[in-house]
Amino acid sequence: MAAKEILTRRPVAATIKLTVPAGGARPAPPVGPALGQYRLNLMAFCKDFNARTQKYKPDTPMAVSITAFKDNTFEFTVKSPSVTWYLKKAAGIESGSGRPGHVTASTLSLKHVYEIAKVKQNDHYLQNMSLEAITKSIIGTANSMGIHIVRDLD
Amino acid sequence: MMTAWHFLKHLNCTPTLQLLRSSSFSLNRYSSSLFFLSIHTTAPDQWPPRPQFKNSHANSSTPSLAVQSMASPVPAPANYVSVLLRCNKDISDMLAEALLSFGASSVTMNEDDVCPGTDEICVSSIFLEGEDINTSISHAADSIGLKEIPRYEVKILEENDWMKGAQELFHPVEVTEGLWVVPKWITPPDSQAMNIVLNPGLAFGTGDHPTTKLCLLLLHDCIKGGEHILDYGTGTGILAIAALKFGASFAVGVDIDSQAIASASQNATLNNIGPDKLQLHLIASQTLSSSRDDWPFSVVEGENASEMETVTHKDKYDVVVANILLNPLLNLADQIIFSAKPGAMIGLSGILSEQVENVLQKYSPFLEGIEVSKMDDWACVSGRKRMNIDIC
Repeated sequence: MAAKEILTRRPVAATIKLTVPAGGARPAPPVGPALGQYRLNLMAFCKDFNARTQKYKPDTPMAVSITAFKDNTFEFTVKSPSVTWYLKKAAGIESGSGRPGHVTASTLSLKHVYEIAKVKQNDHYLQNMSLEAITKSIIGTANSMGIHIVRDLD
Repeated sequence: MMTAWHFLKHLNCTPTLQLLRSSSFSLNRYSSSLFFLSIHTTAPDQWPPRPQFKNSHANSSTPSLAVQSMASPVPAPANYVSVLLRCNKDISDMLAEALLSFGASSVTMNEDDVCPGTDEICVSSIFLEGEDINTSISHAADSIGLKEIPRYEVKILEENDWMKGAQELFHPVEVTEGLWVVPKWITPPDSQAMNIVLNPGLAFGTGDHPTTKLCLLLLHDCIKGGEHILDYGTGTGILAIAALKFGASFAVGVDIDSQAIASASQNATLNNIGPDKLQLHLIASQTLSSSRDDWPFSVVEGENASEMETVTHKDKYDVVVANILLNPLLNLADQIIFSAKPGAMIGLSGILSEQVENVLQKYSPFLEGIEVSKMDDWACVSGRKRMNIDIC
């Protein structure tokens, strides 16, 4: 639970993946059944996860990956939704059931992109990237989705 | 068995079906004596589950405030389906992500399920009721380019499977010398010590978490006797109960979670604390039906802000402790400060060390003698309310 470096590798029991709304982990599905079956401390996970996701907008669906060790301890990492999720949300496109389909071409402003870049910078694995680099990457993703980025929306 | 088969058809899954749970039918509040599964449809968002009470309250129907969602009068037990799939090790991560996109509630890869002699790994996935499993799996497989749907097995799990597991983790904790927090079902290791007995259910606060310990230590140090305490986010009621045991004369516990109020209420009884010493208030954004007569503690529900004002206007407190989260601490700052008497001790926790600055920024205009205590990654900010604050 504490984010300490583990010098010796503890034996891993399982890797659990699930999506939990930022600040909204509760001892209920999806968390309850997923963690309960490995006898992990549900309340501690909820407290920890909720505290660590306070900086995200409430209910943002966070991708959580939990490593459950055989001694019933665990560690977890949290990732904010993908850039495509944010772009779809900003463009007002329903992400829907995830069925393959066409993304309606839409237009967003640079301001939207900056906002997304600032959120993504919170992600651990992006912390070393400059805001400019993250922004460029987001623009690239947007273009591949058929979303056009303009300087200003009027 | 008719209904069971009906359920199977509804699941729309392949013939390799494996129904697991049989006896230990502890979903005792729901009729269905005929079947080993209790099948009720419920939308996932009509959760919350019932707290597992082990005393007489369990047999009476649960007080209406405790666990009912607004949409249905009686929340049905949610059943889960655990689907076991085999796939190639290389694609297991991709398949996991795909399953999550197509309706799985969670996906687990068990280290011990690697099938020896093959490159295959077992992936288990939990689906909540209402999901069409066959469609979800075939879409997931399709989306990552698998030529055929992996064979899978389905097990039906009951909420008790994981709820019990979660609660069994609770063990006696010695918070400081002579102060223990002990589960109701375990004999206190030191009968001479001050023992707080708890049955936490699904509420937070067993004495194990660093934030609970930090708050307990704060209370232990600052309570001299006779104080009035306000416990924001009371959870199991552990802080309010501890404060009373340390000598405080009266405590109020507040929470937005009805399960917390139910748990705290039971724990007060376990520690021989009556309603003259501890009052519990539920703050909910939806109105619930009124409490039953035999509910021993006065419980009031209402709209968020106005309810808090009622609680905080009535009395001013000598000690205010709030072990919640950063955002509520910031949003409720005015109310937390206002509820305290001048010179009162205020303790704020549920925050990570990196969040201390935010709390200090918000609260330092109102507090003096501020101290920050830390344990692992967690922190507790405490201070006394300045004497000459005018808050309108």
